[in-house]
Amino acid sequence: MRVSARRVLTGLLILGGISTLTQFLRFCLPCRQPSQGAGEPVTVLVRDGWRVSSDIPLVFVGGVPRSGTTLMRAMLDAHPAVRCGEETRVVPRILGLKLGWAAEKEGVSTKVLDRAVTAFLLQIIAGHGEPAPLLCNKDPFTLKSAKYLAHLFPNSKFLLMLRDGRAAVYSMISRRVTIGGFDLSSYRDCLAKWSRATQAMLTQCTQVGSKRCLAVRYERLVLHPRSTLQTVLKFLGLPWHEGVLHHEEAIGKPGGVSLSKTERSTDQVMRPVNLDALTRWVGHMPPDVMADMDAIAPMLGRLGYDPKANPPNYGQPDPQFLNNTQRLLRGDFKTPVASLHLNGRPLMSMKGSQTER
Amino acid sequence: MRGQKVSMLLGCALLCSASLLYLGLSGIDCPPPDHAHRHTWADAHLGSTNQSQASPIYYGEDTPLIFIGGFPRSGTTLMRAMLDAHNAVRCGEETRVIPRLLAMRATWSRSARERVRLDEAGVTDQVLDSAVRAFLLEVIIGHGEPAARLCNKDPFALKSLSYLARIFPQAKFVLMLRDGRATVHSMISRKVTISGFDLTSYRDCLTKWSRAMEGMYSQCQGAPEGSCLPVRYEHLVLHPEEEMRKLLSFLGLPWDPAVLHHEDLIGKAGGVSLSKVERSTDQVVNPVNTDALSKWVGHIPSDVLREMDDIAPMLARLGYDPLANPPDYTRPDPIIAPNNYTLVRPDSPNQNLHPFIFVFLWTVSFVRETRTDGKSDRKGNMHILVMLEMKNPNAQ
Repeated sequence: MRVSARRVLTGLLILGGISTLTQFLRFCLPCRQPSQGAGEPVTVLVRDGWRVSSDIPLVFVGGVPRSGTTLMRAMLDAHPAVRCGEETRVVPRILGLKLGWAAEKEGVSTKVLDRAVTAFLLQIIAGHGEPAPLLCNKDPFTLKSAKYLAHLFPNSKFLLMLRDGRAAVYSMISRRVTIGGFDLSSYRDCLAKWSRATQAMLTQCTQVGSKRCLAVRYERLVLHPRSTLQTVLKFLGLPWHEGVLHHEEAIGKPGGVSLSKTERSTDQVMRPVNLDALTRWVGHMPPDVMADMDAIAPMLGRLGYDPKANPPNYGQPDPQFLNNTQRLLRGDFKTPVASLHLNGRPLMSMKGSQTER
Repeated sequence: MRGQKVSMLLGCALLCSASLLYLGLSGIDCPPPDHAHRHTWADAHLGSTNQSQASPIYYGEDTPLIFIGGFPRSGTTLMRAMLDAHNAVRCGEETRVIPRLLAMRATWSRSARERVRLDEAGVTDQVLDSAVRAFLLEVIIGHGEPAARLCNKDPFALKSLSYLARIFPQAKFVLMLRDGRATVHSMISRKVTISGFDLTSYRDCLTKWSRAMEGMYSQCQGAPEGSCLPVRYEHLVLHPEEEMRKLLSFLGLPWDPAVLHHEDLIGKAGGVSLSKVERSTDQVVNPVNTDALSKWVGHIPSDVLREMDDIAPMLARLGYDPLANPPDYTRPDPIIAPNNYTLVRPDSPNQNLHPFIFVFLWTVSFVRETRTDGKSDRKGNMHILVMLEMKNPNAQ
């Protein structure tokens, strides 16, 4: 078939027209700035020679305060491959700040802001303690932002500590642990807030997915430490280490458990894992609150803690750890706080250390 | 034949719309910057560090950042737009998040109790500073195009000027100064909300302006030698070339005539990027002009005018006559020493007399103030004091 010169010319003209139009459009349409390494992981220099990227494996431990979060992180700290360290206090604050910026229309793009938050978090989490193959962070309320953290740190995992709300609330009220938003003069208010917070965190945990978020019950941890920790370590992809069952021996040691003098659970977590705190709340709930329990704190029932049972049957303890509790009740671990030494420094109790929202 | 033509035209139209759609959806990358106009970031950086580096290049505490700030409505946007026009500098729009992070950091270090708790947690000042630095760098770097000199303009970031100077030892600071009356008039007439400022009251705004300026100015003066330059808005718009030459020399940058015509580079790659929501955008698209200099005259309530020096003491200290409406901006008054009106410099022989003269005149003014006829002669006293400050050229 003969292709006429005219047709070829027309075809070329058309192509030329299209390309001119495209070039013209290039100037008319808003052009996108070439992203500078937006896909690369955020990397920060923590200390001389130690660089940390946002794609490192990380574990975030959290939950409503007084749910065994410190115990869990102390047991993990006893594992040679993990370092959690104390509550940073600032991690939840920067997350809260970021939440308030979500509505910002202009200024910086979300991508840049996320990178900036990631860089900040990495510096704090890595910088506040010693290096370790698996870095970990324990600030209770961070699990309210689990989904966001999962997005910032693609290789992060989450441990959500759950506990009978009545026990948690009894602990915060009897020990006067100030927590932002919780009215310590009212069991009703605290239980309702506990329920709401637990629900929020559980929702986040579910959204992150079972491969990356594991909910651990405090009761199960203290009744069956070995099997619970086996599950946890398997979830984290870590080999078993017997030291996690004796975290109290690793306190203040290098590569072990570092405790803060000002945290409210320090005096408890210095002792071996025990059942002392399991049912202490019984008899302390006001009767009107007990009557409305299911309405005040619906999460109790949903998590399987019978709102009408005082206390519910949490289960049978492992015999080998029963010994710890018996020794505790005998007074074996009741060392006067003033003479205790942490990291070579004398421990002085400080009042009113507020757990951050 | 006709059918073929029609189908061909249809085919072209389809092709055109398809490509339009594709381009519109996927977005077009900006054309590469004109190399004659801009240094590429990599060239400039490699040149300055004298070593070959594979990307990514890590920015650290030695990054020579430029921080522009001051009270809002003091010409901060104009200043950053003019610097943006320089081929080696990129400031970009306000980030808005930087001042908030800095404010949060300041509250953490204010409470002694909190400092102890943070220290106990291993979150020492050093760790916090590294974290703030990392945050700031990610924001400033990612916020716009690469450049040899990165710059940030968030007016109230300079409320933490001393802190920024500590965490970025190589940084330079540009503090914009302006007659507070013009600043406040601009804020009120354009309804630019700033938290804590009551836009219905000139008195309130002027008082707060004075307080804010005192804080920022004293930090600028206390900053390491040669790291902070105060720039007067009035002088910038009246003598732009002179001011910009001084500024670029202060920043260690070569002269670039483009800075005098920032309006030509708006929206261009390597030029000035403007924000659609910032309040000064409509003004800064114009070339440098003196329109806004004395717009405030006649708008300030007379009771405020009368008490101007009491309401806003920083006016006099920054060299703006509180009683002149307006002062002659072409003859800039020297800036007065910040912390004390009595200046003592051991090597100058005149200095020993100065405090005594001051005390004498102050007593005189006090006596005059309490005249038996009940009228106070504060105006006269002001002039005495102001004249006295100005007479001393050795004032710091």
